[in-house]
Amino acid sequence: MADTNSVTYNAAMGQALVSAMRKDDSIFVLGQGVATGGWFGAEKGLADEFGTDRVIDSNISEAFEAGLAAGAAIAGMKPVINMGFGDFALIAGDEIFHKLAKWRYMHGLNVPMSAVVIFPIGTMNGAGPEHSSCTEVLGMHFPGLKVVVPSTAADAKGLMCAALREPNPVLFHSVNTLSFQRGDVPADDDYFVPIGKGCVRRAGTSATVLTYGSMVSPSLQAAEQLALEGIDLEVIDLRSLVPIDWPLVLESVRRTNRAMVVHEAMKTAGPGAEIAAHIQEQAFFDLESPVLRVAGKDVPLPQHGYLESLCIPSTAEIVAAARQLCLG
Amino acid sequence: MNDKDVSRSTPGAEAVALMYRRMAITRAIEICMAKHVRNNRFSGWWHPGEGQEAAGIGATAAMQQDDYLFYQGRGCSWAIGKGMAPAPILGDLLGKPSGATGGKGGGVPHWSDYSIGVMGEGATLGSVYPLAAGAALAARLRGTGQVALANFGDGTAARGTFHETMVHAAAWKLPLIYFCENNEWLVGTPLKQVSPTENIADYAAGYHIPGVIVDGQDALAVYQVTTEAIARARAGEGPTLIEAKVFRKHGHYAGDPQHYRASNYLDTYRDPLDLLGTHLGDDQAADLREQATADVQSAYEAALAEADPEPDTIFKDLYYG
Repeated sequence: MADTNSVTYNAAMGQALVSAMRKDDSIFVLGQGVATGGWFGAEKGLADEFGTDRVIDSNISEAFEAGLAAGAAIAGMKPVINMGFGDFALIAGDEIFHKLAKWRYMHGLNVPMSAVVIFPIGTMNGAGPEHSSCTEVLGMHFPGLKVVVPSTAADAKGLMCAALREPNPVLFHSVNTLSFQRGDVPADDDYFVPIGKGCVRRAGTSATVLTYGSMVSPSLQAAEQLALEGIDLEVIDLRSLVPIDWPLVLESVRRTNRAMVVHEAMKTAGPGAEIAAHIQEQAFFDLESPVLRVAGKDVPLPQHGYLESLCIPSTAEIVAAARQLCLG
Repeated sequence: MNDKDVSRSTPGAEAVALMYRRMAITRAIEICMAKHVRNNRFSGWWHPGEGQEAAGIGATAAMQQDDYLFYQGRGCSWAIGKGMAPAPILGDLLGKPSGATGGKGGGVPHWSDYSIGVMGEGATLGSVYPLAAGAALAARLRGTGQVALANFGDGTAARGTFHETMVHAAAWKLPLIYFCENNEWLVGTPLKQVSPTENIADYAAGYHIPGVIVDGQDALAVYQVTTEAIARARAGEGPTLIEAKVFRKHGHYAGDPQHYRASNYLDTYRDPLDLLGTHLGDDQAADLREQATADVQSAYEAALAEADPEPDTIFKDLYYG
């Protein structure tokens, strides 16, 4: 086992950034308050080491931030921008979903274009309907972007390291509820989790749970509860939504013959809709039960913390859905 | 401005001839495209720039080859001015693989050539402000001395990113030029109906940057003010907003009946090619025009003869590596 340290999720992202910035002058960081440590601490200490030329505070102007990232990427730099919240993707829609996603395609250019756009996503006990959304599905609908959602501190480091080496724009979704959660993080500066590779967090035989981000942990808890009833769930952390690790997904589903998708994002036209549709297209005759989705309610997220908690999947809901999936 | 400044920003005879040649190529492409569209051989939208060529030709002549250009979608004077050849321009307009986009083109221009600083066009009009700022920041971080120019029309000066970008660029003194071509029309709406100021350049005061108005039909005047703005930018003195008053000779798109314009609107038109031509000998101007027309015609015929793009073109250039 390689050396590990106990590090928070956001600090692990920061470790990857520091290590990459030391080696690569073309990386710079821009966002609101990044030079003073970032809203969630991922950029803490960056300005001390790299100065405010490379760690740049901007106004509250997301379209500018994302557009600047696109322009700097076109000019061969590797911008890293922290957009504050995933919800703000919509403020910078043209810059992210047209310019970052389509620039090379529409100009017919076979060239690298690196940019990492950090979107903190998900509920955080009362941040309200415009600061809590899981917007990762947007990146799935605009080809040209890569989309990742780490669920552990180690993956936060490893996927950030991968994103900073990626010659394509990456929407990097950090999970708000995990920001300050500690985990064992490899000390290796170059610890790398490839984009597009999922992993099995719990091996099982009864059914496959496909999840990512904030719902990995509740899915694992549900699996432990169900193990007592003789239901043996396999829990796959997708880690990347573009591209999705279909070989891993389909191999598992063909073996367990049952699948459900669990995510915090809204159900309708959420990532689970695509995943379920793909599974039935590819493995329909291997299935013994319809593919289920456990997902966020189709409502804006209320600011009231208790009401908010009713909108996102609970462990109990995952348990109930898994029973339905396995027992009919 | 003192006399020394004026002489510094007057191009030599060779440079004027090159500007004229490039403007003549632009004009020849305009004439060629007008005919092409009239013959119903066109699948896209062509936004004619005939008569509005001086701004792009004059401004790009003031730029170094490695300066970054982000242009807007009317005509082709900016791309030709920066040094692109007729073949990739026409190949693209005709949707052929020899086009700059490799066959994905068709009207709204996405020509680019990074090797000469033609970085491309955003077809969501007025979207290149922050992109140009990003390129300007890249130049600043690398210490290369390059500048970035964002070209746009008056109709997009009301965009939010016009403001967002210039707030930062002015505060950070980025080597960025805002270059507005004001043709007084937003598709079919007169600018004066939707603008609180007579001039787009008036906005510069709010950012504490120079706002410069220039006769956009006069390529040499445009060259001069752009040269000055670029010198300021390279010296670390920050952005300039240039407003070139240009003339939209045609409709917003080829085929636009322009019911919204006065019947005699062409009375005040001054031809930029003729204006620039007065600085050349008659024979030289005629020779350059003839050569340009021949070059464009042969590029057009070559593109016409070319096969259409292969179907797998739709999957090209989506991801790198």
